[in-house]
Amino acid sequence: MTRARRDPRAERAAAALPGAARARFDLFARCAGGRPRRDPRMEAAAQRVDGAARLRLDRAQTGRPAAAPAPSRAEPAAPPAPKTIVMAAPAFLVAVVPDLAAGRLSPHDRQLFGAARTLAGADGGVIALAGAEGAELGPAGADRTARLAGPEGYAPDARAAAIASTMAALNLRHVIFPETPDGGDLARRVAVLAGEPLFADVEMVSAAALMRPAQGRRVEQRAAPARLITLAADAVAPYAGAPREARDEPLEPSAAPASAILAAERIPADPARTPLALADFVVSAGNGVTDLETFRAVAAALGGTPGASRVLCDAGLMPREAQVGASGTVLSATCYLALGIAGAPQHLQGVAGCEHVVAVNTDLHAAMIERAGLAIVQDAQVVMPALIEELARERGAFA
Amino acid sequence: MKVAVLLSAGRHPVSGRGALPRLEAQAIRLAAALGSARGLHAGPDADVVAEALGRGLSQIDHVALAAGADPVPALAAVLRAAAPDVVLAGRRGQGGDDTGLVPYALARALGATVIPDVVAARPGSEPGVIEVEQALPKGAARRVVARLPVVLTVHPAAPEPSAFAFGQARRGRIERLDVAAPAEPAAAAIAVAEKSYRPRPKMMRGAPAGGSAADRLKAATGGGEAAQANVMVSPEPREAARAILAYLRQIGVLAPPPGAG
Amino acid sequence: MTYALPALVFVMVALATVQALRRAAWWRLGAAAPVAWGAGLLALPKRYLVDVHHVVARDPYASRMHAVVASGLLAATLLTTLAVLPPLGGSRAYWAAVALAFGVTAAGSVLVGARRYPKRPKRLSGGGFQILPFLLLAYAFGGLAAALLLALGVESAVALGLAVALAAAGGLGLAYEVRSGPMRHAVAGALHLVAHPRPKRFEGGRPDAALAPLDLDAPRLGVETPADLAWNRLLSFDACIQCGRCESACPAFAAGQPLNPKRLIQDLVAAATADERAYAGSPYPNARPVAAPAEPFFRIIGPDARIHPDTLWSCTTCRACVEECPMMIEHVDAIVSLRRHQTLELGAVGAKAAATLDNFRGAEEPGGRPLTARADFAAGLALPMIGEREVDVLLWLGEGAYDLRYGRTLRALVKLLHEAKVDVAILGAEERDTGDLARRLGDEATYQQLARANVATLAKHRFRRIVTSDPHALHALRNEYRAFGGDFEVVHHTAFLLELVEQGRLTPGALGGAGVTYHDPCYLGRYNGETEAPRKLLDRLGLDRVEMARHGRRSMCCGGGGGAPVSDIPGDARIPDIRMAQAAETGAGIVAVACPTCTAMLEGVTGRTAEVKDVAELLLAAVEAGR
Repeated sequence: MTRARRDPRAERAAAALPGAARARFDLFARCAGGRPRRDPRMEAAAQRVDGAARLRLDRAQTGRPAAAPAPSRAEPAAPPAPKTIVMAAPAFLVAVVPDLAAGRLSPHDRQLFGAARTLAGADGGVIALAGAEGAELGPAGADRTARLAGPEGYAPDARAAAIASTMAALNLRHVIFPETPDGGDLARRVAVLAGEPLFADVEMVSAAALMRPAQGRRVEQRAAPARLITLAADAVAPYAGAPREARDEPLEPSAAPASAILAAERIPADPARTPLALADFVVSAGNGVTDLETFRAVAAALGGTPGASRVLCDAGLMPREAQVGASGTVLSATCYLALGIAGAPQHLQGVAGCEHVVAVNTDLHAAMIERAGLAIVQDAQVVMPALIEELARERGAFA
Repeated sequence: MKVAVLLSAGRHPVSGRGALPRLEAQAIRLAAALGSARGLHAGPDADVVAEALGRGLSQIDHVALAAGADPVPALAAVLRAAAPDVVLAGRRGQGGDDTGLVPYALARALGATVIPDVVAARPGSEPGVIEVEQALPKGAARRVVARLPVVLTVHPAAPEPSAFAFGQARRGRIERLDVAAPAEPAAAAIAVAEKSYRPRPKMMRGAPAGGSAADRLKAATGGGEAAQANVMVSPEPREAARAILAYLRQIGVLAPPPGAG
Repeated sequence: MTYALPALVFVMVALATVQALRRAAWWRLGAAAPVAWGAGLLALPKRYLVDVHHVVARDPYASRMHAVVASGLLAATLLTTLAVLPPLGGSRAYWAAVALAFGVTAAGSVLVGARRYPKRPKRLSGGGFQILPFLLLAYAFGGLAAALLLALGVESAVALGLAVALAAAGGLGLAYEVRSGPMRHAVAGALHLVAHPRPKRFEGGRPDAALAPLDLDAPRLGVETPADLAWNRLLSFDACIQCGRCESACPAFAAGQPLNPKRLIQDLVAAATADERAYAGSPYPNARPVAAPAEPFFRIIGPDARIHPDTLWSCTTCRACVEECPMMIEHVDAIVSLRRHQTLELGAVGAKAAATLDNFRGAEEPGGRPLTARADFAAGLALPMIGEREVDVLLWLGEGAYDLRYGRTLRALVKLLHEAKVDVAILGAEERDTGDLARRLGDEATYQQLARANVATLAKHRFRRIVTSDPHALHALRNEYRAFGGDFEVVHHTAFLLELVEQGRLTPGALGGAGVTYHDPCYLGRYNGETEAPRKLLDRLGLDRVEMARHGRRSMCCGGGGGAPVSDIPGDARIPDIRMAQAAETGAGIVAVACPTCTAMLEGVTGRTAEVKDVAELLLAAVEAGR
């Protein structure tokens, strides 16, 4: 009984971050500060029972300052009115540079705000540096927004220069980029422009420390939050609190640097030509598909890359490049729509990396049906025209 | 066109043995389409990058550096002297800090333009200009015309690397360069604590944000109501089509119906 | 006039010698090779009469035809030369004997003609070969007539002159044909049997099928031009009689892939000859266009050379052609040495094969999977790692251990070993791939690295013998690692299980008479001559065993060898589909296999009616039934 018993509740409460709408904790607090040091003399003094002739100690007393009791979870939280949180004068600013691909926040973009809120704590504010107007920025967690002015089109150097000058002008404590092709590129340009080190591909965020993998994922590096950060996808939860005001922060326009890029032209994706290994959404045909014209139409209408089982490729009905499976292409797609594929083991090995599988097959006991997140036990030949019809109906309803 | 290919001592993703990163092997193939290419490696020894000799490079310049030293000043000094028109590099290293900053820092030191994620490159229609194709997410691309010199980083969708040829590797030469790297003001390093990597569970997409752990579990396993709805036995084709479209939208691979967003 | 016929024969021999020497000048352009001439010459009769005859006799008509015509021709020609001896030249009995020999030749010539006329079998070549019967008939009947005239004492200069003229037309034609015509096979064939590059294959015992290691410090790796081939290899190609037995055995040819072993050998001959006659046999199926330059000793492989790369990569290295060749030509050696140049010097392999070779170099495993995951199939089974202790049996798992389907077979095997209380252990993460696939794809450098590493690992541990279920691993460990200092006793799991059953350590029950047919793996049957153990084992399981038309050492490949699946050369059909159709002809409900590659290839056939089961799986079912 000499050692004080741990009180997990109290420890949790001590790690709680004040100010957040939801209970949030800084689990690094203890790691960073180490274990609270014991003071055996003080403890002994506190355990001393007064009045006894001999020295008597009451070991039940820890002698350490009692932690505040953790807030009880039993209290039913009143349904919070979505009230906009206004931060009048933040002590410092944490910037987020979302990709805003096609003008919308991606899930990854939203996670940046979650990380930024953690780093901003109670006193700091989160500012979104956006190239375009964004109505979603407030609900996503931005206290401020700033429009980055820059030339139209592909001008990453100009964007980087604008961010670097904003960094100086607003004295940003942290700038968080998504570790995406665009965001990662921008972060590195800003890093060399500003001469700041970059803490790239961060996988864990707390107010006190960040963690990133290094040496080909053999070690993890932990450090106090750096000024420039790129955040890995799906590592941090998005901000889930009440909406924030996203007030406009006026910026001094900075002069764009001379660019060596003479022309840039965007070529939209053609799912029909995307290599299978890169495709995000694969629509695949097997033995149960006899009408390949309709199949190609379905793939095109859904915007998926067409694939096929080995049987169709062997029969020459689909090109060899379209073959999915251990002996064809091993996919890394988000979704795999299997039309009329029973799912031979070799085929399933090619689909192992897919996050979601939708199967349409007549056999309830087919392996592919078992693997699928959504399984339709029906002839693919009748489902395919229905899909086309349904998509056409949706378009028709809008027009 | 003079081309330099930056080579790094990478690691095989499965075995962890020294290996030439695949992107750099692809870079060699892109370089072959542009002109005469030489490899450039800075590090303690050039054994690992010697693999590049079997993939189409006939010569590698090796700048000896202590392990863990910042390669940028030495590489910049060599490249300033050689003055290549195009520098090709992978995305990031696989054995050091792996921040992916080297190409950018070199470009700044050389006054070159960085074009990332390149899948194809050819000389432009006029001298001093290069035309490259950049891979964008989800199969899109961008064609960029830029003035030389440029630093290009390679995207995994670039053409497959040439197969390794032992005979060519045997004949290739590695030339050791002694470079007195000028002391350049390097970016202040971040003090880090290192320990061995532990994979962590990824956040689940589509899990309700801020929901309880039970909600997230349900979303992950497709339990609860989803379990019953997951298998549709002999549905009407139209019903099946609707279910498929709804599912595809829920996981975000299909755009919402027109008018809904 | 009695000297006319022997004079003709001497002229014929002189002409044949001149023609053979002209041909030999081309052989001498090949690389040097060590040849044991004395031993080869002494062994020639046995090699010809036993080994060659054994193969020729598989086609009884051809065997009879060849025996009659060749012995007749030889006897008649030799006998006739004796006429220069005065007492014989005047002897009517002697001429009667000569006439008899020519008579036999004539009968053989008729057989030769009857084989090609009125309709030539598809696998035989036409062209110069269609003239051969006429030359033989002319020589035989001319000689017969002349000898008969002399034997009967008919003194008609005109008749004798006409007869000798007829014999001369045929005989000189035959002698002339020694350089580039059908008769080349006789001279080159005899020399080839003496100077054969694999003399061990005639010594009985296990087939000599191990590939020779390549000197990686040689100035040029592999074979680029015919000059890189050893001279006795060039000679061996000249022994080809274009009988087409190889093409009817070749699985790639049957599947419509652009490979025909006969054509390949003839292309190699043509690549080393300035004025080779046009090839008149069946072509490469779906032949790829090539632009062959006229000059000899040019590059052999390439779209701008004689042989298209697709032809080279279609081969499954199953050795069916070698097994069938009556002239003992080693096709697979030639193919692998050509592949070595493509891979090692040019890096000219397909994208998928290149990725496989990269995996070999990077992860020591063709699929790029972690070596630690090899034993994952055995989760829940007690399968100890080998340690310091000496074990009876080291179980070599091979590449199949990563395959979900084949994991079932290995689990069955491990259960059987436990049942028989065998002291067994595995290498665990120390087991690298044997490198067999890398070697067949021509990557000898990677193969040798793996072979040395594996030999070193095995030398560290103490075990009595190695058991493996993978015939490819078996062949590498048993035969090919010998060149790298590895001398192990390696047993295939079928042989080992039979041993356990015969010792009574496993007691299989009966499986109720289901029909089963056994598919021989090439690397077990043809490469190692083991065809009986799996059959004996199956016969003890109470199964109704039937044989496919092609079985044993003459079995057909599943299409999985030699890197053919990763080279993936398109054809008209798939080899495993053809093989499963052959299995279906037997009506057996179970196809028994004994190789992970065969299992994967045959299981991959869609719409098959028969089940594919490893011998070990069947035995386990029987043992469980017998409890």
